[in-house]
Amino acid sequence: MNHAGGGGRERLELVWLAISLIGAVLGLRLAQLQLKDAAEYRRLSDINSSLTIYQNAPRGRIYDREGREIATNQAASSLIFLPRKGQSVRDLEPLAQELGRRLNRDPQELLETLERADRDESAVRLAENLPRGTMFQLRELQTLYPGITLIDEARRYYPYGRFASHLLGFMGKMGPREWRERKAKGYRADSRIGKMGLEGAFEDELRGHDGGKRMEVDAQGRLKGELGSTPSEPGSNIYLTIDTAVQKAADGGLRKTATGRGAAVAIDPRTGEILAMSSLPDFDPNALLSTDPGEVKRSAQGLPEFNNAIAGAYPPGSTFKPIVGLAALNEGRITPSDAFFCPGRFELGSHTFLCWDHKGHKRISWIMGLAQSCDVYFYNLGLKTGGDRIERYARAFGLGAKTNVALRGEKAGHLFGPETRSRSKNKSWYDGDTLNLAIGQGELLVTPIQMAVVAAALANRGTVWRPHYTRKIIYADGRPDYVQRPERAAVVAAKDAAWDQVQEGLRVVISSGTGYPARIPGLVVSGKTGTAQNPHGEDHAWFITYAARPGEPASIAVAVLVENGGHGGVTAAPVAKKMILAYFGMPDPDAEREVREAERAAHRAVRAGLPAAAPKPMMSAGALR
Amino acid sequence: MSPIRVPSTLSGRVDWTFVGAVAGLVAIGTLAILSAANMTSYYNAIWTKHFIALALGGVLFTLTLAFNYQIFQDQSKIVYGVTLALMVSVLILGTAARGHRAWLRLGSFSFQPAELSRVLVVLVLADFLDRRARRMQDFSTVLLALAIAAPIMFLILKQPDFSTALTFLPMITGMLFCAGADPLQLIFVFGYGALTLSVPLVITLCQVRFPNAAPGSLPAFVIATSKMGLATLAVVVAIFGSCAVAWRLATWMRLQVKPVFFGALAVILSGALLTGVAVNRSMKSYQRNRFVAFVAPRSDAKGAAYNVIQSKVAVGSGGVWGKGLFSGTQSQLGFLPERHTDFIFSTIGEEMGFLGAGLVLGLYMIVLWRITTAARLARDRYGYLVCAGLASMFAFVMALNIGMCVGLMPVAGIPLPLISYGGSSLVINLWSLGIVANIYARRYALL
Repeated sequence: MNHAGGGGRERLELVWLAISLIGAVLGLRLAQLQLKDAAEYRRLSDINSSLTIYQNAPRGRIYDREGREIATNQAASSLIFLPRKGQSVRDLEPLAQELGRRLNRDPQELLETLERADRDESAVRLAENLPRGTMFQLRELQTLYPGITLIDEARRYYPYGRFASHLLGFMGKMGPREWRERKAKGYRADSRIGKMGLEGAFEDELRGHDGGKRMEVDAQGRLKGELGSTPSEPGSNIYLTIDTAVQKAADGGLRKTATGRGAAVAIDPRTGEILAMSSLPDFDPNALLSTDPGEVKRSAQGLPEFNNAIAGAYPPGSTFKPIVGLAALNEGRITPSDAFFCPGRFELGSHTFLCWDHKGHKRISWIMGLAQSCDVYFYNLGLKTGGDRIERYARAFGLGAKTNVALRGEKAGHLFGPETRSRSKNKSWYDGDTLNLAIGQGELLVTPIQMAVVAAALANRGTVWRPHYTRKIIYADGRPDYVQRPERAAVVAAKDAAWDQVQEGLRVVISSGTGYPARIPGLVVSGKTGTAQNPHGEDHAWFITYAARPGEPASIAVAVLVENGGHGGVTAAPVAKKMILAYFGMPDPDAEREVREAERAAHRAVRAGLPAAAPKPMMSAGALR
Repeated sequence: MSPIRVPSTLSGRVDWTFVGAVAGLVAIGTLAILSAANMTSYYNAIWTKHFIALALGGVLFTLTLAFNYQIFQDQSKIVYGVTLALMVSVLILGTAARGHRAWLRLGSFSFQPAELSRVLVVLVLADFLDRRARRMQDFSTVLLALAIAAPIMFLILKQPDFSTALTFLPMITGMLFCAGADPLQLIFVFGYGALTLSVPLVITLCQVRFPNAAPGSLPAFVIATSKMGLATLAVVVAIFGSCAVAWRLATWMRLQVKPVFFGALAVILSGALLTGVAVNRSMKSYQRNRFVAFVAPRSDAKGAAYNVIQSKVAVGSGGVWGKGLFSGTQSQLGFLPERHTDFIFSTIGEEMGFLGAGLVLGLYMIVLWRITTAARLARDRYGYLVCAGLASMFAFVMALNIGMCVGLMPVAGIPLPLISYGGSSLVINLWSLGIVANIYARRYALL
């Protein structure tokens, strides 16, 4: 036998050297993984084994001027899907089928959502605000399909439903572009953001900080326990200047007009606070947060996003006449007693301009000219005053420029006059243009909120406010409260005598003129009707007004527009009247009469043995306050 | 000059460092199994089986110490016969699990003979190479050694267990090298094997990395080669051509190289290429996926590469101190696959940190050091070769398994000896280390 010492055992040392090298390489690799890169792998392992379930923070509440909640939050259950590591897409199909059946949704669409969550390895909301019954059914599913979880979170809720919808705005999902822009600000793909109105304008203030639960999950996506949680922080509360009763009167009043399309804005002439802003057709913002995706889809498709109150530009018609009158009286171009003869028509060169009343107003001076809205009187006034002066006064009242209310999408309208014309292609200004301008027609376009500011300025003798609807914001993060102060946009300088004469004229419009339907016993109501000709169809009905208790300064100014509503005094004035009654807390005789009629009809139906439509309870405006 | 003091009792001659290191590995392994299998539903069965195997292994280890290891050399033919019989019977009588016919049922115990056959082949080859001591330079020795192992490897491949069969090669190489075989011959033979294996790797790499390679580009040519067509023929012709040119060059430069060398080189290169292409074509899809996971771990983060990524994350996230037993999120929450068997080292890395994983590696190095020491001191060439073979085998398996867990090696279904859960593996490894302890204890040949 070959014994130790010979046989080349030195080769073993080479093998041992190789083994030592292997040991060294493995040791270095261990050190690299566990010492050098440990933090990175620790992070990866935490990502693996924990999932953060975000819980929507309660959004800041919105209150009306008396502290009533007009936008708040509700507790709601959401269905969450937690993808499992290494899950095959095939496993998701039965889940999508089952959920589709229970939630009444398209399984294909659900499957796509599930697959996306699986790809991104992030939790996804499958359904929000689940009704109680569905919730219990889904709890059963949790045992069958790991990865399905129900959580509680806050959901936006609008207690008044269809109410000031364009002012409040609504909550909706982000589009791809919005999501890219907001990703850095801590929004998640399934976050909802405020759209339109003040939900949109005050998104940064209203949104809180979403809370989250860090849950431990196993490789099957089953929740193992809570690792920790961050409580959500609610957003900042906003107090508005909106008067709920006036707003309801505006929404309800416009809805009952012939066309149901239009806008109404009420402003406090002493401060510029917006008391109500209504645009019809409107929508119920709660419908856009419904669990039923069909309802959300229907609501979103038919959503009247256009806010007529700030973005609708219409010819002002006769509501422009007080401005023409103020220009003429203040510039001394006429005196109140100067009278003109109205035969129902006005000849200018070869053209004939008609008065709205073809029978004519005969001899007519300032007060009755305004009260009867005599066009011929204002043709004469216009020619005497001149287009440039009228334009200057109109500009002083803020026409042709945005009121800068804090809402997106406001339009400036269009002011038309010699100066504006000189800057356009067709530079010439004709007397015919002056006639059109004097009765608020032609190229003149104004928005309802501009006319509300005009009404307020007529009431307060010249202060043009920048209208606002926020009173204060109470910040959630401890910043000092933001308190809104009145902002004066401009002042229309005019002599007291001129103001007296204009205001007197506006009062007579209501007491014995075209605005007669808006008169309210016990209040001093002034205003001006307008029936704006419009090339696209029926005339638009306008009404601007302001009202005061006797001996007090006017505390509400209103502009109402009813699209294609016909005569302003007939269609628009009653809406304004309802708003004023609501503001002063006075009973609305019209509403009471309607309730009585409905009751009588029901009685008749019962006596006739016919099935009766249940009388709709009409709350009187007074009962709301 | 004082005589060497020789301990009078067997226990005095036992290598206690070695025994301690082995015991330490088994202890850590037991802890890791108890922790890693914690979440499985058959936990009770696992730890019961493990402790039975532990007891059985301990008894075998001690028993093996009791009688002289040379009996294995004397009965070498019987050992070889038993090995062949075992491997044939497992193919005929064995039960299949997960696509492998690798288990023999003996009553209520089942037993996996592949690892046993590996140790038995070491014993048989040691005897063969001891006999051929004076003819080690002959190429026939190398070929005969391969011929002895080939039937066993073939039978293991039939199970099919590619990974275990693969572990035979470094083991045989180590033994041949330590026995004094000509390194050039070894390079030819095992270079052939290595080339054969690298061909599918290169082909897979090209297919994954350059799926849309333009025709005419190198990756496209490599992929074309895998189709056994004209491109393959072109490569073979190129190999022969360049070998011929090299030969002419060598004669021109008057280098003293035999022309046979160039002929052999050409045959080996083209032969390796052809067998490599053949292997590539016969690879099972799960095997190809492992190749893909190795060459491009990010390509399929939820499929084959998932295991590699999760294992690295487990080891790395353990940090210095580890997350604590029963607290590793990767292993306890099921992200780590095969966490108490093939990937148990990752569990240790995660739960016991660098300290635990480093300790395992350190103990392994001590065990390997003691095996090579036993080889150095062995009283005869047979004992020397057995130790050299076992050292090569354990070193390679350790490198393959730990390398896989830390992302240095492709995924191979190889358990980590002494640590991974697996009754027959534990018993057989303890028994084979008992032989090493035996060889060490009987090192004083002259007494």
